Amino acid sequence: MHLNNYLNNKFLTLSLLAVFSSLITLGTYAAWDVQPKLGYNLTPVPKPVPAPGFTLEDMDEEKHSFKDFHGKVVLLNFWATWCPPCRREMPSMERLYQKLNGENFTVIAINQMEDGDHVFAYTGQLDVDPTFTILFDKDSKVSNSYRVSGLPTTYLIDKKGNIRYRAIGGREFDHPEVEKQIMKLMQE
Amino acid sequence: MLAGISSAANISAQKNEETGLYSWVAEGDGFSIELIQLLPDFIRAIYMSHDFPDAEVEEIAGYCVFGTIIKNTSQQQLDYDVSNWYYTDKRGKNYPVKTKTEWLEQWRKAGVTFSWTLLPDKGTFYMDDWQQGFTTIKLSPESEFTLTYKWSINGIEHTDKFEGLRCAPEQLSEQ
Repeated sequence: MHLNNYLNNKFLTLSLLAVFSSLITLGTYAAWDVQPKLGYNLTPVPKPVPAPGFTLEDMDEEKHSFKDFHGKVVLLNFWATWCPPCRREMPSMERLYQKLNGENFTVIAINQMEDGDHVFAYTGQLDVDPTFTILFDKDSKVSNSYRVSGLPTTYLIDKKGNIRYRAIGGREFDHPEVEKQIMKLMQE
Repeated sequence: MLAGISSAANISAQKNEETGLYSWVAEGDGFSIELIQLLPDFIRAIYMSHDFPDAEVEEIAGYCVFGTIIKNTSQQQLDYDVSNWYYTDKRGKNYPVKTKTEWLEQWRKAGVTFSWTLLPDKGTFYMDDWQQGFTTIKLSPESEFTLTYKWSINGIEHTDKFEGLRCAPEQLSEQ
């Protein structure tokens, strides 16, 4: 019974994905999917505030706590697979991560209300599979605690766990200006 | 909020030759807004895939839904509030735009917890900030209307009218 439900849901999901793919292939929503040129400016937060803590699971259902990343500069991104600008900025996050990941810097992408299977299917279609940490905020409680009202929204958090910059809407995160801001925080 | 300014945006329309669907962009005084026609079936597919009850799927698919992209094109602080926006139908009657908060309240009562896809009601944008989401207008397919929208730059309110907008058809016409 449980398996039947699972297969039925899976079938429905795959059918809908097929419908979406067909629509996108037809170019019906091309205008919706390809939008403004991505900028690179991050807005400094005038009075840095402590980033709210969280514990969330990754794709392998392994738990990660925000405090595990203490001591690193963190680019914290809220996203979903159905969000066109989220998809557009993701390759630049991966390039940034490949370039700066280490003891002092990491990237965490917190997916909103989707499951591992869905995200796995999505990342499998990308030219470069993201290697940064993807966590699942299945009830959007973490995004609410960060007062995220739209996707994507990104925060740059310093080594002490304070929010220092924010960006609403997609960005080119591997732009030299962004790298410069991150390097500066890494050197503090 | 300081005294308002009536702006005159540059408006451009674009037709997708493949589908016949239209999109419009208005740009002026630090604010850019783009409205993209979306078919009711696309809206149905989106909300069905998020397990919405049938009645809620049909209700929102019965609205005229636009993909909406708003952007701060200034280097200043920009604020907007959709609850100040309204549309005017062909008979000249004004109606408020149904906000995300109003939809979420309705969905919460229907047991829906999904809270994304709609354009957030309010926002404060800085340089390069932008947002994308659905805007809902309670008009039938192919209705024509004017949208009056407001924003402020550094506390100075601007108002503009987006004329000549048209809801998407019920279905794509045969090519």
